[in-house]
Amino acid sequence: MAEVSAPLEQFVIKPLVPLHIGSLDISYTNSALLMTVVVALIMALLVGATRGAALVPGRLQSLAELSYEFVAGMVRENVGTEGIEYFPLVFSIFMFVLFGNFIGLIPYSFTFTGQIVVTFALAIFVFLLVTVVGVIRHGLHFFTLFFPPGAPVFMAPVLVPIEIISYLSRPISLGIRLFANMMAGHTMMAVFAGFTITLGIFGFLPIAINVAMFALEMIVCALQAYVFTILTCLYLRDAIHLH
Amino acid sequence: MSESGPPDPLRRLGDEIDQARSRADEEGPAGRGDVTAGGNALGFGLRVGIELLAALCVGLALGWLADRYVGTRPWGLILGFFLGSAAGMMNVFRAVRGMGGGPPAGRGG
Repeated sequence: MAEVSAPLEQFVIKPLVPLHIGSLDISYTNSALLMTVVVALIMALLVGATRGAALVPGRLQSLAELSYEFVAGMVRENVGTEGIEYFPLVFSIFMFVLFGNFIGLIPYSFTFTGQIVVTFALAIFVFLLVTVVGVIRHGLHFFTLFFPPGAPVFMAPVLVPIEIISYLSRPISLGIRLFANMMAGHTMMAVFAGFTITLGIFGFLPIAINVAMFALEMIVCALQAYVFTILTCLYLRDAIHLH
Repeated sequence: MSESGPPDPLRRLGDEIDQARSRADEEGPAGRGDVTAGGNALGFGLRVGIELLAALCVGLALGWLADRYVGTRPWGLILGFFLGSAAGMMNVFRAVRGMGGGPPAGRGG
């Protein structure tokens, strides 16, 4: 029964190296460990692939080149050519989220993108950065973003608060979307895995469902990393071009 | 022989890549559309729901904060609720319009 009632146990954060500064708990946890692993993997992929760079790329090199080209195309299409100076940031976010999503699918690992703290921190960072970029580029003119062009002026008292609320809801929807997708998928797989144990001989049915779900989860992993990145691009475009 | 050797496989590879590209271009939009539309009705529903809820939460939170620190109880919460709902609907409208083939977000998931 214990296995069945604990599909959420996979999200528990366990401190590996306890660290305390005053009352602040900055322990090195399983979540932090997986983040370190992800960053190391990304570095290994990109550095390793470009070390022996050949004109006709091998497997590893084309993987690195494909991801680079993909994100560069995304930035160029959605932000425009000015946006390319933010490419390193967007690329880092994409690779971090993508690898974080995929590494969570490995049994016994940990999905740090299924932690709302992580996704929300990323979203708030993007939100603050976009706002600062907008204010630096346009000064006070940036705040015309809150008034849709072409709307009658007497509607401003209603439209401006609505637009401000809509703007403030961006980091929340950005963070929650990634978190909810990862958490829902992993919980569902754990629940079906629990059915396998309780159903005994008919346990192959939930296993079949889980196999199908694993494929779906792989789509979701890639898609959510893509969505997070493309929304970052769209917000950057708003900040750079205003409307 | 040693001079004509390297370019030949390269040119063949280039031709193959060009062919694969033109094939992908022919199938491209339809195939891509299938992936986002068919495989992710659930994801899209979740996205719309989150958009609606996030704006409502922000509206309510701002109203509640105004009530608490400015002392306009209960009007801040009421106004915040209505403004938040309106903002949520606007978010959903934008998300759906983006899906339908608007220029930037049309390919988005």
